[in-house]
Amino acid sequence: MPLKFLMDVFHSPCIKCKGCEAICKNQNDTPEGVFRIRVVTINEGQEGQINIPMPCLHCNDPPCMKVCPTGAIYKRSEDGVVLVNKDVCIGCGYCATACPFGAPQFRKSGAFGLDGKMDKCTFCVQPYNPKDASGSEIFREPKSRCSMVCPTGTINFGEQADLAKKLRERAAEKMASGTLESIFVFF
Amino acid sequence: MLGLKMSRRDFVKAGTAITLLAAGVGKYSGDKHFFVKASAQEEEGVSHIKTICTFCAVGCGILAKVKNGKLIGIEPWEEHPINRGKLCAKGASIRFTVTSPKRVKYPLIKENGKWRRISWDEALDRIAKKMMEVREKYGPDAVFFAGSAHTSNEGAYLMRKFMAFWGSNNIDHQARICHSTTVAGLGNTWGYGAMTNNFNDMRNAKAIIFFSNPAEAHPVSFFHIMEAKRRGAKLICADPRFSRTAAVSDLHLQFRPGTDIPLVWGICYEIIKNGWYDEDFIRERTYGFDKVREIIMQYPPEVVEDITGVPADKIREAARILATNKPSTLQYAMGATQHECGSQNIRAFAILQLLLGNAGKPGGGVNAFRGHDNVQGATDMCVLSHSLPSYYGISEKAWKHWARVWNVDYEWLLSRFGSKELMEKKGFTMSRFAVGALAGTEEFPVERAMKIDQPSTLKIIFMWGHSTPSLGDTRLVKKAFEEVELLVVVDPFFESGAALAERDDGVIVLPASTQWEQAGSVTNSGRQVQWRNKVIDPLYESKPDVWILLSLVKALDRYDPGLYEKFTINFGNKSPDEITPEEILDKEITVGSRAIGMIGQKSYRLKKQQEYDYTFNPETLRAEGGPCDGEYWGLPWPCWNERHPGTPVLYRNDIPVWEGGHDFRVKWGTKAPDGSSLLSGVNGHDQIEGWATNLNTDYSEWLDRNMVPSGRGRARMYAWNMKDPVPVHREPIYTPRVDLIDRYPTYDEEVYGKFHYRVPILARMLQKLYKEYNIYEYFPLTWTSGRQVEHQGGGAATRSNRVLAELQPEMYVEINPYDANERGIRNGDKVVVISPRGLEYGAEPSRIVVKAKVTNAVPRGVVFLPFHWAGQFMGEPYIDRFPSLEDMDTKPYVYGESANTTNPPGWDPETQMQNTKSGVCNVVKLGQEKELIGQLEKMKNIADRILQYLNEKYATA
Repeated sequence: MPLKFLMDVFHSPCIKCKGCEAICKNQNDTPEGVFRIRVVTINEGQEGQINIPMPCLHCNDPPCMKVCPTGAIYKRSEDGVVLVNKDVCIGCGYCATACPFGAPQFRKSGAFGLDGKMDKCTFCVQPYNPKDASGSEIFREPKSRCSMVCPTGTINFGEQADLAKKLRERAAEKMASGTLESIFVFF
Repeated sequence: MLGLKMSRRDFVKAGTAITLLAAGVGKYSGDKHFFVKASAQEEEGVSHIKTICTFCAVGCGILAKVKNGKLIGIEPWEEHPINRGKLCAKGASIRFTVTSPKRVKYPLIKENGKWRRISWDEALDRIAKKMMEVREKYGPDAVFFAGSAHTSNEGAYLMRKFMAFWGSNNIDHQARICHSTTVAGLGNTWGYGAMTNNFNDMRNAKAIIFFSNPAEAHPVSFFHIMEAKRRGAKLICADPRFSRTAAVSDLHLQFRPGTDIPLVWGICYEIIKNGWYDEDFIRERTYGFDKVREIIMQYPPEVVEDITGVPADKIREAARILATNKPSTLQYAMGATQHECGSQNIRAFAILQLLLGNAGKPGGGVNAFRGHDNVQGATDMCVLSHSLPSYYGISEKAWKHWARVWNVDYEWLLSRFGSKELMEKKGFTMSRFAVGALAGTEEFPVERAMKIDQPSTLKIIFMWGHSTPSLGDTRLVKKAFEEVELLVVVDPFFESGAALAERDDGVIVLPASTQWEQAGSVTNSGRQVQWRNKVIDPLYESKPDVWILLSLVKALDRYDPGLYEKFTINFGNKSPDEITPEEILDKEITVGSRAIGMIGQKSYRLKKQQEYDYTFNPETLRAEGGPCDGEYWGLPWPCWNERHPGTPVLYRNDIPVWEGGHDFRVKWGTKAPDGSSLLSGVNGHDQIEGWATNLNTDYSEWLDRNMVPSGRGRARMYAWNMKDPVPVHREPIYTPRVDLIDRYPTYDEEVYGKFHYRVPILARMLQKLYKEYNIYEYFPLTWTSGRQVEHQGGGAATRSNRVLAELQPEMYVEINPYDANERGIRNGDKVVVISPRGLEYGAEPSRIVVKAKVTNAVPRGVVFLPFHWAGQFMGEPYIDRFPSLEDMDTKPYVYGESANTTNPPGWDPETQMQNTKSGVCNVVKLGQEKELIGQLEKMKNIADRILQYLNEKYATA
């Protein structure tokens, strides 16, 4: 079963505290300019202002993977995480244009960055440099830290089935208390 | 899970509270196949240490990941009852603050214009020698000590004790310019000047009205606020800006800065008019409703609309929401406190909640969100110039109480002071200590004429964990730093004040370790005391605050024999290395701090709670079963003895005192001056005789009879002892509504007395001159300041954090597109924000150079500045004056202008709170400021007029 993010911006509006951006940097040691998640604000400073955290959505049919000329981008079968093999990546940047969500990241300095490798959200399974001192691949538990620290509950993470279950439970709770409409009238 | 618990206990036995991590893995393993694969081997050798965030006062728990004694990262502490692992940008990136390469690595001294490394011994000896020299020559009051809300309770307590033993009341800290008006406002209404409920309790609210911007200043509080909203609570945001809090609120009351009281009165008017007030509550538990009603009825919504700019219909709507969705709670922070009428703003909030009967109820109350991780604790420890720890004041009685706790003679303490009069006289404050250093000096003509109410000017200033950018009137502060003989800065980072001062000698910088390198107890905004574990050993040559303080006493002991022995007599005269924070908490703080009931918070209880964090129910914050059964998280004071569970909701009288029940204090006698009773209508009784000074009681005798040691009294809507017994609107000294000045004038000078915390204060006179000289014509924009979510306080710690510096690299001024276009300013332009500050003491108007951020978030006519920035002064960067030695570069990653260079004058008559929220200014493109300054030529008279006034008034002083 694939893992997914759910951005619950209508029921649990984001306040742009940037906890997600910072904990991602802390957990994955990404260098300056690389943001695996970023909070975007629409209508800043006026009615209808809404903040939306934007990580990689780990598509089921990822366009970045399709355009990658070296096959560096792959989707892990057991949990659906879209990863990049940095040994194979040549930093051409096709993925950056193919992705509609701006997920692929490159270091700030240089044309496409100093080391030329693409970096993206990994559900925290991989740090920025995915190899340890002895050269073996670092793989951690898929447990996205951004969803764990999100104070408002905007960022949710889990298997698709779990997320659906969560939404159903929430709706059921409102139904039971006769306030189902409050799910919809957030903005 | 059993194995996990075992290892936890074993570690605690070993003296630390380290937990092995398996929690995350354990939680998911079992039913989810893919996690089996993900068993992370990188966790080997890693310990997870429970500790508390060092930024704001929410008190979030964090698990620090430590390997081989090095901090390698953090993890969310998901069982922490307050934040359940939730973190904002600051907490989530705290590792980069602690391990920042910008830290001060060793003690530094500035000599002949150069920074030089010195040893701790030499540094402490030099300071001690200088202190004694100054003491001989000028007396103990020539030293000013700026303490810190960023230390533990133990550190803060020792600071206050240190100055008591030194013999001066010239000690103060951030709380003065943060929530001192809360203490005066709430304290005078119902007894204690603290947040009445706690963060988790806000879930129970059905409506919340914000008077600040917690979405940006206290983001993790939104964990609970959003939960309240999901449960149907209505949110109202009262803020001059369309802030991120306003964006998620149901109703936005966009009022003009400095008009909080009329706005609240407008709401109260509707509540009274429609009979929405809680009659029973008012009759049984309050005093002075009739007198308050008289004032409130002068503020119908239409009048309020004219003053505040908020449409009358919105005010009516706010009143309806608050009255029909009970319990409703009120939240506020700096936006309300930092005014010359700050104490009155807070009083108005309290009265609103009393009218609605929301006080002393879960989901209700007045929730003052505090700023620093331990500002509540440092305030309780009274690192303040007008009180000894636990708000005893500085009367002879108070001194005798603490002399008993300290095990020293009162007579000896008295001999340390210049005189008994000075011992009982309030000292300088953070707001105006600069005058104490500058009175009689040559720089500014008006300062020269200033008289101060102590024998000598200040010769030594300590800045111990206090930032300079948060102080008003940076120019004056800079001058004060230059004028004194010695400036001592103690901070993990290079605090900008030491670089701001343009001087070649006489600056010593001591590297304090961050709070993650020292242990201690911290009190969050909700009065919850938590134990903060030491995560790693102090980095470089930095030292814990407690160690530095004790070592300084030891260094003084060389010239002042017997001081160290007296200072540490309760700790067995051990060396600074051996005295632990546990001893300080258990043997002194929780013995003497009876007036706030900080008695039951012994270190072993705090540590036990931390170990059994998972037994606490996050809804009620009460432990259900387990070794802490029945206790509330953090043992919120008052916690009357070691069996008491703490008091999570102040003044709640519907539960037994043994269960956390409480009541309004009987603080002003049992009868008001008009003869009516001040005892509660429900089981009212006077305070227990000697309850705050008897060191031998555990109060159970009274608790068993359901009596509150501090009495069961009434909340005072009418506070006869205050400058305004009932809050009334007073226009800010520099206001854009000149037409309202005569109707709602600010305080007269007489209100402040001849000296106010040892300095003269001007108020009404400045306002009159402002009008007479048409200053407003040249400064038509309203000036206000606030916070950025990525930075905190003066920003020394956050601007030296590479992640936060990247997330928010800039100082800016928010300006409305209309105002920007009128001035030909485009987004991103460099502009000059110029204010009349300085005209009143004969200087050029102050100004700062910042980037323009053109946004609709601020309404027309208002500009907003974040205040965390330093490194540039009036357009000139001074970043080069930060020490940069071979192995150490202390320059922060990002720097900018301090907003408070341009703040308006204005001080609260109760507490001397500075005004950093409602002033006037103008914004022009860089290069055009000369033109504006040229037009102000005739205003030079202003200083002469003030000078004349001062000379007359203080001629015989």
